[in-house]
Amino acid sequence: MPVDSRRLQGPETTFSYHLYVNKQPQTHSQWVKQVLKSNGKRSDGRKLDDIRKIFLKTSVMSQAKGSAYIEVGNTKVICSAFDPREIPNNNKFSLNGELFCEFKFANFSQKKRRGFIRDAEEKDLSVCLKRALEPAVCRHEFPNFQVDVYALVLEDDGSALAAAITCASLALADASIPMYDLVTALTLGVHGDHKFLDPTSEEERLCCHEPPGQNKNHGLIVLAYATELQQVTQLKQIGVMDSEFLIEASNSLSSHCSQTHKLSQQCLAQVVLKTTKEKKRLLELGETFKKMDVGSQKD
Amino acid sequence: MDETPDSNKTIRLASQRVNLCLNSGNNPPNFFTPGQIIPLEGCMRGHGTYFDKNATTLKASVSGVLERVNQLILVKPLKSRYNGEVGDVVVGRIMEVQKKRWKVDTNSRLDAILQLSSVNLPGGELRLRSVEDERMMRKYLSEGDLISAEVQSIFSDGSLALHTRSLKYGKLSQGILVKVCPALVKRCKTHFQKLPFGVSLILSNNGYIWIYPTSDLNEEEGGGFLQNLDKRITTADRGVITRTRNCILALAASKMLLFDSSIIYAYEQSMKYEVHELLLPEAMLDIAILTQEILSRQTDD
Amino acid sequence: MASLMLGEGEKMLILHGVEDDMRNDGRTRRKYRPMELETNVVSHANGSARLRLANTDILVGIKTEIDCPFPETPNLGKIEFFVDCSANATPAFEGRGGEDLAMEISNSLACAYNSFPLDQLCITKGEQCWKLYADILILECGGNLYDAVSIAVKAALSSTEVPKVVGTVLDGGTVDLVLSDDPFDCQKLDVRRAPLLVTLCKIGDFCVVDPTAEEEMCSVASMVVSVLENGTVSSSFKCGAGSLHSETVKEALKIGKEVGQSLNQELEEILLEEQNLGPKRELFGFLK
Repeated sequence: MPVDSRRLQGPETTFSYHLYVNKQPQTHSQWVKQVLKSNGKRSDGRKLDDIRKIFLKTSVMSQAKGSAYIEVGNTKVICSAFDPREIPNNNKFSLNGELFCEFKFANFSQKKRRGFIRDAEEKDLSVCLKRALEPAVCRHEFPNFQVDVYALVLEDDGSALAAAITCASLALADASIPMYDLVTALTLGVHGDHKFLDPTSEEERLCCHEPPGQNKNHGLIVLAYATELQQVTQLKQIGVMDSEFLIEASNSLSSHCSQTHKLSQQCLAQVVLKTTKEKKRLLELGETFKKMDVGSQKD
Repeated sequence: MDETPDSNKTIRLASQRVNLCLNSGNNPPNFFTPGQIIPLEGCMRGHGTYFDKNATTLKASVSGVLERVNQLILVKPLKSRYNGEVGDVVVGRIMEVQKKRWKVDTNSRLDAILQLSSVNLPGGELRLRSVEDERMMRKYLSEGDLISAEVQSIFSDGSLALHTRSLKYGKLSQGILVKVCPALVKRCKTHFQKLPFGVSLILSNNGYIWIYPTSDLNEEEGGGFLQNLDKRITTADRGVITRTRNCILALAASKMLLFDSSIIYAYEQSMKYEVHELLLPEAMLDIAILTQEILSRQTDD
Repeated sequence: MASLMLGEGEKMLILHGVEDDMRNDGRTRRKYRPMELETNVVSHANGSARLRLANTDILVGIKTEIDCPFPETPNLGKIEFFVDCSANATPAFEGRGGEDLAMEISNSLACAYNSFPLDQLCITKGEQCWKLYADILILECGGNLYDAVSIAVKAALSSTEVPKVVGTVLDGGTVDLVLSDDPFDCQKLDVRRAPLLVTLCKIGDFCVVDPTAEEEMCSVASMVVSVLENGTVSSSFKCGAGSLHSETVKEALKIGKEVGQSLNQELEEILLEEQNLGPKRELFGFLK
């Protein structure tokens, strides 16, 4: 494993004490019960097809051209997008601009501490993020240039990739990068007959295990959707399931995505409303200053 | 689907591998490898050879076959890129648009050059090249476009200068490009071939073969910078084009010379196969053998 | 590949050809090009395979080594994929040029192999397990890398022989491993749940199986579906810069499932056929 020598290293083989916590349910049915209550509600009181409360905010970072912050339940992601710059070490002319995406988990974002150096999973998710955003960006408008997008997961309580995609698309819009559409994404966790929309990390963990029953479908589906274009910009599925089920699930996910799309739009519009209010206030302030100026000259 | 069960199989084992080489009854010529001494005295040094330090013995510098023109000794490499000669018909792809010229990939060692002054611009032949034309260069030909052209001259560094100052040359429209070794294309009187089954070929000297549907407008179409992208090729025509493509590839895989009659014979022999079956090595070999037989029978007669 | 360029006329012909279900090489939209497979081509590897699909040439070697299992999954072995885009394929891969592509392929394989039963690699629970290193060498690329790589990996895994090892936990918690004296005392891996990746390239409004390098140039987006023997999907993702309509996704998944299932079956048959040639079969390797 690559090691960063500039950082203080712990002992080489450390592992989380959570392994010794004996909270792990013994049987499979107990586990399912822990995640899904008998009244059909989840441990946080949601129904199976409810999404968690989403909080969105743009322009949270001052140094970046555009930035956005998203909270989906306990999952918190911060994204920033930077101005187009020339593609480094590239001597070939490319007609379309490049999108450079980096997806990173903060060291403390999960139960188990994440390493500082990007691992294979983060690299994979970076590519996913890039592929999800690329179709929505008017890349022909900045040929030979690249736009950098960084997504940092502060806290991961499930659906981190989906949150990052939604957030990064807002950050791009906030940075005034020309875009065809806003992209929103959602995750669906599947475990046998249960379908968890927008799963938490505990539910995600359950979905990665094969259920013992007849229905062996299990896994996670992340779908990124551009609502105005009616295009799926990314579909990533892990876990074993029937293709018929997958088709059906991706259809329902895209309709759910359209709902969160409105939220993203609202968030962007609100910024404008806020700034126009601010501008009005400043204008009024300016007017009074001018009057004072005129007044003082007269004196 | 009316396929034989064998052709349905896509995965094959290496033990079922087919050797595509044909045995041609000719005795193999004398081969030379780099550094090998050429045992001839008092000769002139040609391409593919060098004199060693004390300038006494002639040695080969490429692996190939010895050729002798009077006193001149040259070794022709077995496999080489295209060495252009003035007057050759070539098919090339535009790689770069530069000031007043295009760089064209013609399978030779260096990219060929097509000067803006050596093309026929729309609106008459005798026209001065204006600054306007320079700006419009990418409109006429842009990166990735295919052209047919003739070699006008050869620069001192070996790169070719092309021209398209004839109605038969110009931008190529809809068709398929097949790349083969330049040595496989037989030099003929004309490299523009109209085959009897509704397909035309440009068997260019540089090994880039252009296959396109024969149309009545072909003569007027060539030479310009217009592409007819709206016209849809009919399914029947498409079948002929793809079959021709696969036949050419089958002949090339068995290192058969490519010229109009070899392609026509191969096409005729291929009729017993479905087009996609021609991708199978057995079918490719079969066609090559049959074609070779017909050709040798003809030379015997 | 950046070196490949196509003119408008060629693109149009490919596009119309896909619409007419008659591609440039005469194939229908759902047909593969002929492939050639050979297993056990590398003597130092525990299992290996070489696959040639038209111009695409893949060599896979599987090495097994002993490792400690992850504390979270004490009874599972490990498998890891490394892809090396050799500069032999194209000069563009020189240095770090092929790194991005290599990473994408190895990650997609790692995702797809989540269905692979790793418990068969366990030696002693929580202490020792086998780790499989699947090293994939791309010697030449002529389109459709995902499919070719996955077929080669599955064939290599099926030929892999893991030595029989008996592990006993001693008093102090240390493990004593005893390797069988007979070097031929090996066990084969169960590859029934190893997936194959099927790339469905969107050209025009249609999905095309096994795209050539030229066809890949005409497409902006494709779906990669990894299919198991029984037709279930173990992972899927979109690659390429474009986006897809929901209907296209639906069609891609449907075709991918059918094509993948028949490909799995065919691979199984051909591997059996090779096995029936016996252990003394002639190796062909790279000689033609």
